[in-house]
Amino acid sequence: MPTVHLHNTDIRFEQGETHDTLLRAGLSQGIGLPYECNSGGCGSCKFELLDGEIEELWPDAPALTPRDIKKGRKLACQCRALGDITIRMPNDAQFVPLYRPRRQHATLVARRDVTADIIEFRFHTDAPAHFLPGQYAMLTLNGARAPRAYSMSNLGNDDGIWDFWIRRKPGGEVSEALFASLHPGDSLLLDGPYGLAHLQPASPRDVLCIAGGSGISPVLSIARGLLSDPTLAQRRLHFFFGARTPADICGLAELQSLPGFSERAGFHVAVSEPGASDSWHGATGFIHELVSHTLGDRLATLECYLAGPPPMVQATTRMLLLDHQVPQQQVHFDRFF
Amino acid sequence: MNAVIDFARFYVCEASELANNHIRQIKPPGHDPVALYRVDDAFYATDDTCSHGQALLSEGEVDEDFVVECPWHGGTFDIRTGEALSFPCVLPVRSYPVQVEDGKVYINLRAGRAKE
Repeated sequence: MPTVHLHNTDIRFEQGETHDTLLRAGLSQGIGLPYECNSGGCGSCKFELLDGEIEELWPDAPALTPRDIKKGRKLACQCRALGDITIRMPNDAQFVPLYRPRRQHATLVARRDVTADIIEFRFHTDAPAHFLPGQYAMLTLNGARAPRAYSMSNLGNDDGIWDFWIRRKPGGEVSEALFASLHPGDSLLLDGPYGLAHLQPASPRDVLCIAGGSGISPVLSIARGLLSDPTLAQRRLHFFFGARTPADICGLAELQSLPGFSERAGFHVAVSEPGASDSWHGATGFIHELVSHTLGDRLATLECYLAGPPPMVQATTRMLLLDHQVPQQQVHFDRFF
Repeated sequence: MNAVIDFARFYVCEASELANNHIRQIKPPGHDPVALYRVDDAFYATDDTCSHGQALLSEGEVDEDFVVECPWHGGTFDIRTGEALSFPCVLPVRSYPVQVEDGKVYINLRAGRAKE
């Protein structure tokens, strides 16, 4: 079993049979390795190989810039050790997982249409489903080349229930296969939980949730976590959802069923493509514009959680940090691509 | 010893002490740390703390293209202006005028500017 040694530290961990990458081997053993997307897109888990041999699962991963390639940097989420290795990589307590991720079989117990292209998949594992609101798991279908990250929409529980709201991505290898071929009784590999953009119960601030499209899944989990936790009963919730068309709006029914929703929460929607008909009377445009217009100067007083397509996350982050001087540490998102 | 610090003309080092594509951290008393860069035989200075997090740009790398890369998340800044060039860095860092006189490098810590 290969051992990974972090240079200039006394940290060593093993990459076992159940670990598909260096990063996930380390996190599963409670090592605080930096990461965000786990998918080769963000570049947070870069390292330098100092000694030994590795296998690169995705040498052309988009997170590697020409500068990285010139300097020989690799991604821990896309590499496996072939024998004992020594690497140079940061580690920090902020990345130590509260719930250590593990890879296990999960069985699909139900699927339900949420919109025309979002389905709720409910999986069951024998072990408890321990995760924080806003976290994600890596799902690997039988025969798939690589896992794909999907965020849970429910809350951690002892019953082993993992809900995911997944949008069909035309041409997407995993989502097309999930939609076409995965039916109740079928199983896959579920590896998790992962993710740093989870609910911060210690924050004294009211909460702003901003979701774009399928980013609804983790943000719904965060809203559920906030409204279900009696210790957070004093916090208000501002929930914003950016949909492409009126038919893509979802999540309101689930939010309305939460305790105290009508007293503590507001739900706002903007639609970017209202269509030719006069049937849409709500806000039109991008969701970050509606957030800015609605909350304005109050934004800097809020704990902000966002998820959605990269252009939405980037535009929203700029709006929060640059236009409204929201402190960086109050803005939470995992960078997916 | 002269206890008065001239922040507008803060002596850092001899120009010959810093090679091209290298960075030096400066900790002026009572001031945020500053990173001094040398690229193509010219000197530049910015805040050392990355606007995205707690990482130090002086522990990152600067190349011939006047771009410093944060060692933590790989965000980049233009060392000439402090402008943030790549996500997740969005906010600029302040840049400071640098003067070289008689082979000595001085930074004007009173004239830090963040590009709008």
